[in-house]
Order: sequence, then structure tokens, then C-alpha cells
Amino acid sequence: MAAYLKKTTGLTGLAVAKHPQQTLKVVYEKILRTLQKMPQDTAYRQHTEQIVKGRLHMVSTESDMMKVEEKLKCGQIEEVILQAQRELSLSRKMLEWKAWEPLMAEAPKNQWKWPI
Amino acid sequence: MAAAKWRNVFSLASQFCAKRFIYQPRILTAVQRLQTTDTTVKEVRPTVRQSHPLVKKQLAEFGQYVAECMPKYIQKVHVANGDELDIMICPDGVIPVLTFLKDHHNAQFLSLADIAGLDVPTRQYRFEIVYNLLSLQYNSRIRVRTYTDELTPIDSLCDVFMGANWYEREIWDMYGVFFANHPDLRRILTDYGFEGHPQRRDFPLTGYVEVRYDDEVKRVVVEPLEMTQEFRKFEYSSPWESFPAYRQLAATEEVPIGEETEKK
Repeated sequence: MAAYLKKTTGLTGLAVAKHPQQTLKVVYEKILRTLQKMPQDTAYRQHTEQIVKGRLHMVSTESDMMKVEEKLKCGQIEEVILQAQRELSLSRKMLEWKAWEPLMAEAPKNQWKWPI
Repeated sequence: MAAAKWRNVFSLASQFCAKRFIYQPRILTAVQRLQTTDTTVKEVRPTVRQSHPLVKKQLAEFGQYVAECMPKYIQKVHVANGDELDIMICPDGVIPVLTFLKDHHNAQFLSLADIAGLDVPTRQYRFEIVYNLLSLQYNSRIRVRTYTDELTPIDSLCDVFMGANWYEREIWDMYGVFFANHPDLRRILTDYGFEGHPQRRDFPLTGYVEVRYDDEVKRVVVEPLEMTQEFRKFEYSSPWESFPAYRQLAATEEVPIGEETEKK
């Protein structure tokens, strides 16, 4: 099935993606490139690399996007693209924040104690 | 004919007996069930909260996952009331942590349900800001809590969640917590010209001013409050502890994060 027969996503404001496979590959590779700038042992980097590499493998091996949707169980392929784009922007921000550093400020004593 | 009738009656009677006979052991099993010490018995009493060990475990694991990914900001994680995940962060981590929860593949808390405030005047940072998030993808909720005082501004969340705008205005109105970089920070609930922040614990229950229609000047006038009788203080506390059982009961269960998890 070469032609992508989907007419609508059924979701307001979400258009049908024209080249979902290509788009996803590009975004996932961008995420991986951003992650490589982080230190190797960062938990965020390891977890995200695992997720993104798994998805990239699935997208690049399977050409039928309907089957990819079924396997991922993360909604329609357009939603998967949105998720990937959010992850990309997050990974860039994480690089800026350096969120893997140790705790920046301890809470004052009894701040989280309840009842007081 | 008559014999056939009798036979029917007999068969009915025997069925009835058989039914009663079946019922009896069922009652017995129920009794045995009540007396068991097995903790996996489902809670049926309507006034006692059910515990879901699996849900609690999943929440604790997710809390650890978030704390592992953002160790810079997360101070504490606990599961409250058995099925509510609370993440305590330092005030500078509001935008990073909430952006992470919104944008990460495994979180996707795209919906900001509410922002709430809390005032505990005895603490060093008296105000607590509570963000309630909802993930439609995974059907789960999370609560992010941070703290501030009267002077320290908190970063506005409007750039991350558009819906935060009015919630933050509400907190500014009720508690007087200042949100930095908020596009439109002004009162939202109180009247024009209102002074003070009514949800603060030191704000009097009666308020400072009263409003009445003045017949002479033909308009509504605002005057300082005048009590018709002297303010009386009632002693409500009983010498007995009303709910001693719930004093010692810890509603929250802390989840070990960071180095504590490595020790385990």
C-alpha cells in the first residue's frame, strides 16, 4: 500500500501528516544529536535515548504507518510526531538547564512536614 | 392427574431444600473469609479507604524516575493517601520540572488541572504553591509542590501552560504571591479597590471594611468595619483527642530518591 489513504485525524487542529516517516526520522535524529551533548551517565539521556532509539528503529523498519501506530500504542502517527517535537524542545532546554546536576537548594527544616 | 401434581410439588420442595443446602456452605465460606489474616482481602467497608499496592508501587517508581531525571530540583517525593503522587521541588525548578512533565515521552502531563496555594505562617517560607497536572495519555495525575514567602517571586508558568494565567492571578489575589514574568498579573476575584489578600491566615474573617447604602449621599459607601459587639473568642478545643486513631497514622509514604535508592 504505497498511497497513504488517511483523510483526517479526527482531531481538531491536527492535519494529516504528508510524510510521517521522514518527519519522524528527522526529529528523532535531532533528539539523539542533542542528547549526545549531555554527559554519558545522565539518567535523562539514557532513558530518552532508549525510547527514541526504539521508536526510530520501529519507524525506519516499518513503512506502513498504520502498523507503526498499532505497535506504538501512542495514538495516531500525527500525535507521535507532536510527542517527538515536544521531546526535542525539552531535550534542548534540558541542555540549557543542566538538570542532571545535584540538588541546588535543600528545603528549610520542617518545610514539608505535615501536620506541623 | 393428582399424582402428577403431587410429584410437581415434591420436586419443587426438593429443589427448595437443595437450594437451602447450597446456601449454607456459602455463608460458612464468608465467615472464614472474614476471619482470615490475609492482607490481600479487598476492603469492603465504605468508610475505609481502599489500598492499591500495585498503583502505589507504580506511582513510587514514576516518582523515582522523575527524581532521577531532574535531580537538580527535586527535594522529596512521596505517595499521599495511597494513590496520589506528590513531588516537592525547590522554587527555581518550577519551569524545568513542569516542562519536563509536560514534554517527556513517559510523562505527557499536558493538562494543567489547577494551581493552588497554601499558607502556613509558622514556616520560614509560609506559602506553598501546588500544581495539579493530568496526563490524558496515561490517565494519571501528579501534584508538584513548591514554596515561597511574601517577597520571593515565583516564575510564572504561562509560557509552559497557557491556562496558568488565571490560576496565578487567583493566587496573587488570594495570597499575594508574586509571579515573575506573568503577562497580566492583577486581581481576579476580589472587588475593585480591595486591599489585602483574603486567604492569608492573618487576614481577619470579618475583613477590614464594610459596605452599605447611604441614603444621604445616595450611593454605596465603604467604611472601616465597626463591630456592634465586642469580638468574642470561643474555646472550641476539647480536652479529649477527638480522632486519636488518625493522629499517628501517616497518610503519606515517602519514596526514597537519589542516593537513598542506591543504598537500597
